[in-house]
Amino acid sequence: MRKKFISERLGEFISDLFGTGTGWLTFVGALILIFYIILAVFSPQIAPYNPTERVGRSLTAPNDQFIFGTDNLGRDVLSRVIYGARIALMIAFIAVAIAAGVGVPLGLISGFIGGPFDRVLTLIMDAIYSFPGLILAIAIAAVLGPGVINIAVSIAVVYTPTYFRVIRNQVASVKSELYVEAARALGAKNYEILMKYIFPNVLPSIVVVLSMNLADAIMTEAGLSFLGLGIAPPTPDWGFDLSNGQRFVLSKAWWGLLYPGIAIITVVLGFSMFSEGLNELINPTIRERR
Amino acid sequence: MSLKSYIITRIILALPMILVLLILIFFILRIIPGDPVLAILGGKAPVEVIEAKRHELGLDKPIIIQFFDYLGDVAKGDLGVSTLTNRPVWNEIKDRFPATLELTIFAFIIALVIGIFWGAEAAWRKDKPLDISARVYSIFIYAIPVFWLGLMLQLLFGIYLRWLPVGGRLSPRVSLDIKTGLLLLDSLITWNWEAFWDVLKHLLLPGITLGLVISSIFLRMVRNNTVLMLSKDFVKAAKARGLKPRVILYGHAVRNAFVPIFTIMGMQFALLLAGAVLTETTFSWPGIGSYLVLKIKYRDFPAIQGAIIFFALFVVIISIIIDIVNALVDPRVRY
Repeated sequence: MRKKFISERLGEFISDLFGTGTGWLTFVGALILIFYIILAVFSPQIAPYNPTERVGRSLTAPNDQFIFGTDNLGRDVLSRVIYGARIALMIAFIAVAIAAGVGVPLGLISGFIGGPFDRVLTLIMDAIYSFPGLILAIAIAAVLGPGVINIAVSIAVVYTPTYFRVIRNQVASVKSELYVEAARALGAKNYEILMKYIFPNVLPSIVVVLSMNLADAIMTEAGLSFLGLGIAPPTPDWGFDLSNGQRFVLSKAWWGLLYPGIAIITVVLGFSMFSEGLNELINPTIRERR
Repeated sequence: MSLKSYIITRIILALPMILVLLILIFFILRIIPGDPVLAILGGKAPVEVIEAKRHELGLDKPIIIQFFDYLGDVAKGDLGVSTLTNRPVWNEIKDRFPATLELTIFAFIIALVIGIFWGAEAAWRKDKPLDISARVYSIFIYAIPVFWLGLMLQLLFGIYLRWLPVGGRLSPRVSLDIKTGLLLLDSLITWNWEAFWDVLKHLLLPGITLGLVISSIFLRMVRNNTVLMLSKDFVKAAKARGLKPRVILYGHAVRNAFVPIFTIMGMQFALLLAGAVLTETTFSWPGIGSYLVLKIKYRDFPAIQGAIIFFALFVVIISIIIDIVNALVDPRVRY
């Protein structure tokens, strides 16, 4: 089956390199994540300057005062990279919450009741799934316009089918297990069976998909804002800063391009290492099953 | 199942998928805030003019009728008229499609070359530096956003080294008769070497950028499958016959490793298209991807809708073709 998540594939590559059973990979991944979460939460305390204010001359190369240089409006690149973590993580978390919030219940219900409802929903989800994710997100973002929630919704639509498929397939196989039958024989109601017996069984997969999804959401957000479909300027945003920096590529202002990119790469790597480790810890057989 | 009935079944199975995609696109683009008629005419138009335009566009009909009108138009290949240029959207897409096709084919070839050669050599030298470096490469190439990779290559080869142009498909000073729209092909069939060289130079950076992104997937597939094949008896037999290592590796192991690789290649197509949108924007490449982004900037909704439908149909058609070719190559698929 086609892999939807960049981080799923990345996880594969990572375990190719380091082998399996590497707890330290999870640890390093977690460290990177904690680093970025701290940057995001405490950006006003950490950033040396106001990210949206002119603090120096335009396009100053990195020096002692501005170690990442300044952009075309004389704003400090370092401060913008730090504040950028805020918007990237915020949108990623909201998008993932929406995708899981819609995909998981739909997958549970669809897998549990089956029938025509299940077939129609599966068809819709498969149609969305087969479509190139970024292009779908572009279409929705174009319609909804800028704004944190709107961007998060556009990203969430792309990933909802992944939750739906993983959960639906697991529920469909779990529901014929003996213990579910036993519960039913003892008079448990559908709702009870779903929440008490089936949901806990599919929970580990949800956690793994969640952590993988975060890396992809950040990547997609960067892509959207690079295309000018992210949140409105002057809010610091890695993708937008890259597209802004591209306008000054001819003046060799490499610092405006290098640092936001490195931020995206490290945070994506961090999430992927973390989710790959988590994947192995929680469910050693999950990859074969998916 | 015969090949013919397999193909027919496969196409019929794709129809509900296409229908669902068309429904989704229709409704997503109907929830646009604001009145499309006012967007075309501006806020100061008289009421009668607005009503007339609304009637002309069919927007006064019930939504379900509008939907069937739209389905009929799509089936006829009529994607509406761009509100920005007043040209039929289908014509605009047709003009730009060869650029996207050329870029994606070129990227695909680059990815294949990297994947096959590096993958095969890595398999031959399993766990040696070349193999390990392949794995490190895969990780980084996959974590890097494609547009950032493009920017870095632009900076290095276009700005600092000045070897290659940073955007466009053809220098203005170079003349070329356009026949197929695939400029590399056009310059070849007209024996226009100056244009060929110029087109190739323009194609290199975006092609490499896009190609690198999917190369890691091929690389991994080729390497792992070749490692598997190298442990098989027929490789031992080939060694026993005293064949040269190159012949064993490429003629026997890689060749047999190729069937599963083909399936994976096809699956990367959607990823390739999404990457093309970003790559085209980065390199001002005049394809469908940059068309979509441009039209979004001007909120030209018929054009946006047309481009998205085009992408949707493209993905479905490619996946059908790949399934059919798969069935041709490997008869077991049909059953």
